[in-house]
Amino acid sequence: MRNALIAATIASALLSACGGPQTSSANNTQSNMSDTASPPATAQGSTTTQGNATAPDMSAVSGDQAKTVMHERHEGMESIGKTTKALKRQLDSASPDMAAVSAGAAQIQDLSGKATGWFHAGTGPDVGKTGAKPEIWQNQQDFAAKLRGFQEAAKAFNAAAMSGDAPSIKTKFGELGQSCKACHDKYRSEMHH
Amino acid sequence: MPRQISFGDAPLSSRFGGRQPVWDLPIRLVHWLLAGLIAFSWWSVEYHHTDWHIWSGCAIVTLLLFRLLWGVVGSSTARFSSFVRGPGAILGYLRGGWSGIGHNPLGGLSVIALLSDTALQAGLGLIAQDEDGIYAGPLAGLVSSDTSDRARDIHEVNFYVLLALIALHVAAILFYRLRGRSLIMPMITGKAVLPRGTVPMQPGRWWIALLCLAVAIGVTRWFIAGAAPFGP
Repeated sequence: MRNALIAATIASALLSACGGPQTSSANNTQSNMSDTASPPATAQGSTTTQGNATAPDMSAVSGDQAKTVMHERHEGMESIGKTTKALKRQLDSASPDMAAVSAGAAQIQDLSGKATGWFHAGTGPDVGKTGAKPEIWQNQQDFAAKLRGFQEAAKAFNAAAMSGDAPSIKTKFGELGQSCKACHDKYRSEMHH
Repeated sequence: MPRQISFGDAPLSSRFGGRQPVWDLPIRLVHWLLAGLIAFSWWSVEYHHTDWHIWSGCAIVTLLLFRLLWGVVGSSTARFSSFVRGPGAILGYLRGGWSGIGHNPLGGLSVIALLSDTALQAGLGLIAQDEDGIYAGPLAGLVSSDTSDRARDIHEVNFYVLLALIALHVAAILFYRLRGRSLIMPMITGKAVLPRGTVPMQPGRWWIALLCLAVAIGVTRWFIAGAAPFGP
């Protein structure tokens, strides 16, 4: 009896932990994942900076051009990561600085548009140090759909930030995070620092 | 069944006092839950279930807090005062001059190393953030973003330190097994065959165990809520 009681309470200790570290693990509701991705553009250098959802330009590059793409990708991803970390801190704090949140949301949407030009063929791990897995260029349709999911999540988050509606901002931030994760879990290797 | 050790001509029955309690239920539960949760923590983060990883870490924090309290007010063999010993006692044990139940002076060192490294690992996890800024430990808001990143790096490296300590722990168990003593069964059943005349375990009180557990849960929940008023 006594032992059973202690067993039951220790079990509840474990359950207590499930009560809730706040992680932005909102249900993955990436929009329009069922849409078929438009075929990759073939013209080189057709990057967009508008922040609209566009299919990635996966045409082949080599030499200095490949190095430039890889460098831009690295810097861009790092910038998105830093901005996301700062946003999470703001949104988890008791009184978020909404101007900073809006600025961050706009920046991520802008970078998500630029990401269209970060995944040219010939910029994989066989060319240089990168966390981009070769599977990106083997599953171009799926990759394009995931990138589009990120772009749409970034757009929705930015729209929420502009609206100033706190619950919606948090939800959209959670969805943005899941759109990052959806791609990174599958297409990013661990050896990318 | 562990192989019985013969002591000269003396019949075993006169030298051994039968199966006696060595480890109380809280100690055994903490031990096996820690083992299971450490394995689960590795698995969950390896397979990108970062949210489960954080929950598992919080459960480990609860177990460690409980163990800390039970180490002060629990059963005699659970108490740090009964097994944290100086170099003299460790040398004495190595020379064969130790009799008692619970952790021997050398094993006590291993327990302290395992518990403190697990606590370091859990503490680092509490203030860490993932590299994408999607997940963060509940106390990440208490430190800067750079500190959280550094905590994650150390958390990753310290896992190998913890693995090494676990390997040493398992190796020691195998070593004793080869010398005829099973340490696993007592950690499951709580009982071991001890030489006659060994000072028996003084069991702790069940309601004190519940109290320790309540405090451990309370502190963990306070961490999870961001440790106000220190939080962001």
